[in-house]
Order: sequence, then structure tokens, then C-alpha cells
Amino acid sequence: MSTAAPEAVAGARTNLAGLLVVPATLFVAFMLIGPLAILFRYSLNKFVPGQFMVDALVIENYVKFFTDAYYLNVLARTVRVAVLCTLACLILGFPLAYVLARTQSRFKNLLVIAVVLPLFVGNAVRAAGWMTAFGSRGALNASLMGMGLIDQPLEIMYTEVAVLIGIIAVNLPFMVLSLQSVIEGIPRNVEEAAFSLGANPAAMFRRVLWPLALPGILAGTILTFILAMNAYATPVLLGGPKFQMMGPLVYGQFAQQNNWPFGGAISFILMTATILLTVAAHFIVQRRNR
Amino acid sequence: MARLSISHLKKSYGDFIAVDDVDIAIADGEFLVLLGPSGCGKTTTLRMIAGFIPPTAGSITIGERDVTALPPWKRHCGLVFQSYALFPHMTVAQNVAFGLEMHKVPQAERGPRVAEALRLVRLTGFDDRYPRQLSGGQQQRVALARALAMQPQVLLLDEPLSNLDAKLRLEVRVEIRELQRKLGLTTIMVTHDQEEALTMADRLVVMEKGQVRQVGTQRELYEKPADRFVAGFIGRSAFLDGEVTAPGRFRTAGGLDMVCAAAAKPGPATLALRPERIAVGGEADGLPNRFTAKVEHASYLGALLDIQVALDEHDRMLLQIPNRPGLTEPQPDESITIGWAEDAGLVYPRGA
Repeated sequence: MSTAAPEAVAGARTNLAGLLVVPATLFVAFMLIGPLAILFRYSLNKFVPGQFMVDALVIENYVKFFTDAYYLNVLARTVRVAVLCTLACLILGFPLAYVLARTQSRFKNLLVIAVVLPLFVGNAVRAAGWMTAFGSRGALNASLMGMGLIDQPLEIMYTEVAVLIGIIAVNLPFMVLSLQSVIEGIPRNVEEAAFSLGANPAAMFRRVLWPLALPGILAGTILTFILAMNAYATPVLLGGPKFQMMGPLVYGQFAQQNNWPFGGAISFILMTATILLTVAAHFIVQRRNR
Repeated sequence: MARLSISHLKKSYGDFIAVDDVDIAIADGEFLVLLGPSGCGKTTTLRMIAGFIPPTAGSITIGERDVTALPPWKRHCGLVFQSYALFPHMTVAQNVAFGLEMHKVPQAERGPRVAEALRLVRLTGFDDRYPRQLSGGQQQRVALARALAMQPQVLLLDEPLSNLDAKLRLEVRVEIRELQRKLGLTTIMVTHDQEEALTMADRLVVMEKGQVRQVGTQRELYEKPADRFVAGFIGRSAFLDGEVTAPGRFRTAGGLDMVCAAAAKPGPATLALRPERIAVGGEADGLPNRFTAKVEHASYLGALLDIQVALDEHDRMLLQIPNRPGLTEPQPDESITIGWAEDAGLVYPRGA
């Protein structure tokens, strides 16, 4: 090329580019890193009932978490729910994203909006809606019992299944949009080339579509996994008081027990677990596709 | 390699007929080019042969096998795309080996066949490169090697040279053609580039509006175009509208009487004249059609002079004369004498 490469960012040669990133950086620094640092410091404090928080430098809050089967159980359940939801979103989302990416329909934009539409309904509102539909005296059970199909109401609410369904429904659009944008960037010709070379659809998917869609698969799974790990409203409203996950647990320690040091410790355990699992999955997937 | 026959092939999308009753037989080892303006149905025809578009009617036979209902992965057609369509996550060698793998060629056989395919396209030693590390021409040669490695029954080329720059296009054109001859590949190429079609093909199929207008060799298409469309599409022609007044007599819309081939039937018609068949100045002496024409525009093209003239208000013509030492291009408004033999013009009934 004889022409000079254009500036990657308008104004890169002046200090404008530097200035452009300042507001967002400051915002993140003040609103995220600062509070997190304070929270981490609190997690090393002691909690003395009646005195609220006592300055100290101890790891007893972490020890408490990892030595109590109840809390370990909550962590395990959270990871299990997040993994199941992420897999379900991937399996349900991929075909939908593929169709959205490849459709020639003039209603394509409408279809994309239809995928995003559920996000317009907040978690709490949606969960409340399900309570009226799937509760033991909800519309579904009332209809089934009215028709004489069942004698006892089906236990849907306040089960792990209810929470799984709830989180999948909330997270699915994020997965679909992540996948769709990447699949759109894969030329249709490449798939056709694979077919013409003798690949049946399954072989084409395994050898061409999946590896090329991998960046979108990673982005989508990371996003849905993080959202599921940190889910709050859905487990509270659909899981009920006995179904504990990490998000509600953190809130409980802060708002109900007033135990800030332990709440801080749980926050950091949740955050670390999320990051470690995400990074691990990333490496496994990348290595398998080398 | 195999022969291929397409019979009564049709594709319609609702009311729109993309391909209308196409009937072509391609001999074993023949290089056939589908040529036509965009939207003429040539690409749709090729994609039906490859199996990507199900035909509305008609059948496709490769060798002895009717493939009309077969999916693309069972057709054994080597396909080369305009955009190369290489697998970006695989090396050159992996790309070329893909078809062999899919056809369950034993591992031990793959290496030598990949090497042979890369040798054919002169890319030996590029095995471990990724497509993004190659130039456009190299990528297209990898795509060709990938299609050849699986020893396809027919080779299908979908505008394979359109994305290459002009100089490279000439090189790859010759390369593909030589390879095709050497390996005896039954090949169908789609292109809208007339020159490319003329230099590469054994036979050409000219298509327009979903229909085959003419099938023939370069010489047949140029010298005996079947209709006015082919006469205008292959090479250049000047068209004079008018009517055949009597056998061998043609009168233009502007009222000029001309002598033409006797076979034409009386009625409204168009006379098509190739620009290089028209003589200028002294060379026009003694020809049955001699007219004085006014120069409108002359272009110096190096080997040729391109001259547009007006016979009268209605009738315009195009001439091409070879450049010679001392020849100066005529100036606008200059009057020149032009002439042509009676068999130089082709008469096409109008409205046909």
C-alpha cells in the first residue's frame, strides 16, 4: 500500500484520544474499583454481634465460609445452576441465532427486536408474572385441576427447575445476540464450500461453523455465565426462601444480618469463582480447537 | 471426470422465472462458459448444478447419475467461488485436505494428494500458511487446489477471477485453462466478463433473462449471432433499425436503401454491422453499400481507431479501422465515405 494508514482513532495524533477514554475510566475507577477495595478490606475485619464491625486483619470470614457445609452447598448450587443455564442457553440459542443471522427475510429486524423484547420486562416483573401463572393456585395448576388431569397442584414454583427456567429465559437474549453477530460475519460461501467438498451438515457444523463461531460462543457463554452466577431476583422470587444462591446470600448478610465482613467475604468468593471458572472454560475451549 | 447434462432446467420464485428451460450438454473434458449480464440466470444455473438451489423442474445428470435430488455433499462437484471461501481457521494444507477427509480418503493417501494439488497450482511450500497470509491470487489458487484435490466429477467456477486485479486476472486465466486441459476437467464457469469468456471457453452459452440465447464456439457467436441480443453482447455491433422491403433490400428508418443478404424476410427488422467490417475512404470503392457519413466522434485506441459516424439524423454507426503509420484520426463534422459488402450485415426481424 502506498497510502499512509489512516488513524485508527480520529484525533489519535493529538491528545484527544487520551481524553476520550478519561470519563469512562474515572467512572469505573470510582464506582467499581474503589468500593471493591473497601469491601475487600471489610472482609478482613471481625464481626462482633452488637458492635457491628471491628477493625482487624483476619481471614476468619473466609475460613467460616469454606468450613461450613451450608455455605459450600450454596456455592456448589450456584455454580451448578449457572453451568446448566449457560449450556441450555447455548443449545437453545445457537439454532435461533443461526436462523436470525442467515435469514433473508425483510422482517429480520423485527425478529431481532422480538429476541430483545423480553429484556424490556424486568426480572422482578417477569418473576412475579410467573408466580401468578405457575403457583400452586396459579393459572396453569387451576386449569389442569379444573380439567381433572391432576389431583394435586404441580410443584413448579420454589424449585430448582423454576429457577433454571427463569434464569435461562432472562439470559437467552444475551446469548442469541452474541452468537448472531459473530455468525453474521461468517460468509455463507464458506459453509457452501464445505458442503461442496463432501461435508454433510453435521460435519460442516463441527469443522467449520463451530470453530468460526467460537468467539461468539465464548462471548455469549461468559456473559450468560456471569449473569447466572450473580442472579438475584430470579432465585429470590422463583426459588423461594429455602433455595439459596450466592447473590441473595450476599444481600442477606448485608441487609438482614448486618454482617458486613462476612458479606464482603462472600462477595469476593463469588467474584473469584466466577472469574476462575470463566478463565478455565476459556482455556479449555481454546485448547481443544487448536 | 464426467460429462454433464442439464435438461429442461427451470427455477422460478413465485412469478419471477430465474432460469427458464435450460438445456445444455457438456462433453467430458469440455470447458463451458455461461456468459450473460447480471441477473440472466447463469449463477442460479451453476448453483442448481452444485446442489444449492433445488430446481423447480428439469434434471441434472453427472456422468450416468441423476443428481437432481442429491444434496451438494453427495454431488462431487468441485466448486470455486468468487470470494475464494477458504476456511480461515485452517492452514493451506488443511484446507486442501478437507475434501479428502470428508470423502474418507485414508490418512496415508492424503499427504501426497495435498502435495500434488498444491504443486499443480504452484503453491508448494505454502502448506502451513493461513489464508490471511496469502495474496488474493494465491488464495484463489488454494481454492482451486482444494476443489481439485478431491478429484471432482465436474469443476464449477463462479466468477473465479472477478476479485483479482487486472494483471493477475490474465495470469490466473491462463493457469486455470492450462490446468483444465492438462487434467481433462469437465468445467463450467460463470462470468459476465466477455473477454474472459472468449479466451477460456471451448464453448459458450449466452444467457439473458433466464433463457439460453445461443450456444456455440467463439467464432459461431461472433460471426453468426443468433439474435440481436447476442450480436450486441458478444463483440460490438452497430444497429440500424428499419425494414426489409424486398428480398436483399433493407431500408433504414432514415430512408437509406441498402443491400443485404437475400435470406431476410420482408418486414420490420434491424441490421447489425460489425465495426471492423466497414471500409472507409478508398477501400469502400466498388462495394454495394456506399454512403457519405459525418464523423461525430473519433477515439485513438492505439492499435485501432474507433469512429462514430452519422449517416443521417436517425442512423448512427460505429467503425473500427486499424491504425497505420501516417493515419490521422478524422475530425468531428468531417465527411468520410464508408461502405460494406452485402453479406457484412446481419438482419434480425424486429420484435423477435
